[in-house]
Amino acid sequence: MKGVLIKSLIGAAILMALSASLPAHHGSRVSYDLTKQITMKGVVTEYQYQNPHIYIMYDVKDESGNVAHWGAETNSPIVQARWGWDKHTLKPGDEITVTVYPSKVGSTRGYLSKLVTPDGKVTNLSAPEQ
Amino acid sequence: MRRALGVGIVVLMAVAFAPAARGQGGRGGGAPSPTKDLPFDAHDFSGVWTGRGNMGMAPPMTPWAKAKYDAAKPGLSARGVPLGNDPMMACDPVGYPRIAFYNAYPMEFLQTKDRLVEFFDYFYVHRTIYLDGRPLPADPDPSWYGYSVGHWDGNTLVVETNGFNERSWVDNDGHPHSDEMKLEERFQRVDHDTIQSTMTLTDPKAYTAPWTGMKSTWTLTTKLAMREDVCVPSDEEKYKEEMRVPAGTAPSAK
Repeated sequence: MKGVLIKSLIGAAILMALSASLPAHHGSRVSYDLTKQITMKGVVTEYQYQNPHIYIMYDVKDESGNVAHWGAETNSPIVQARWGWDKHTLKPGDEITVTVYPSKVGSTRGYLSKLVTPDGKVTNLSAPEQ
Repeated sequence: MRRALGVGIVVLMAVAFAPAARGQGGRGGGAPSPTKDLPFDAHDFSGVWTGRGNMGMAPPMTPWAKAKYDAAKPGLSARGVPLGNDPMMACDPVGYPRIAFYNAYPMEFLQTKDRLVEFFDYFYVHRTIYLDGRPLPADPDPSWYGYSVGHWDGNTLVVETNGFNERSWVDNDGHPHSDEMKLEERFQRVDHDTIQSTMTLTDPKAYTAPWTGMKSTWTLTTKLAMREDVCVPSDEEKYKEEMRVPAGTAPSAK
């Protein structure tokens, strides 16, 4: 019980530290529903590794074979370096598992919460500050 | 059993209040810096620093400023809207003092005997503080980052800045400033790893009283390096088209 309490305090402190440092201008928090998360498997079509925000375009196929074109955004390259991302992190054709905070209006766009890359590496991100 | 619980509570408090945990990301979990107690030159600010700042509360606005504030549409929650009109999103200069509070990115002080250059990694821009004793210009051209002069008062560097245009926002919330804005900042290197700074913003055209209480702590970093960070208008457009607008646009009825 004590151990769980300590761990969650540490987790909360880390979350606070990270979210306090994220820059704000594009209104990410305003467009995405931070109370929901959707996880899907997809194939990368674009890895846009540049300012203002890194974003990944990827295709998600459902059981019937219909393809939905999704986009997930995250931090700028400099901020994302804290999670070990660089120009090699993704490329078109990569199979990924993506968890996003989805668009409030139900479009196929989200703010990245978690990414699993083909090598199995997991990136867990905090919610957008602004 | 009671003693173990007591120790546990002490550990909980230490973790909850550990300043490093709320810090800037560069430092570890509370271990003292190996360089903090090294000797230092209080008149030398050279190095790469991470800032942690607080802008305090804006004083009441004049009608002129209130109209500008109401017209500003930040991308920030509370007043935030999905697209907004924050000039930063068009890659307009962030301006000063706003850029000094973007604490996710480091800042480098480069110092010569007659100039202190503050180089912000965010947007990769700099401002120059003249240390050669010159006065503030009486009728300066308007600029985004102002005209700054500094003089030493003991170990405190007093920096005065004027010469602003009216284009930039003071903060993410869209508080405006006029071309009458003047800043007074005080910087003091208090130990090898730390510079403390305070700022007072005076702008009678925009605020009915000085904006006080702005302060920052700058910590020498060995972990964060300066990296090119440029705002590219064409990339802003592409991001807006592929992500920002679709994110806020409901799919058409099936």
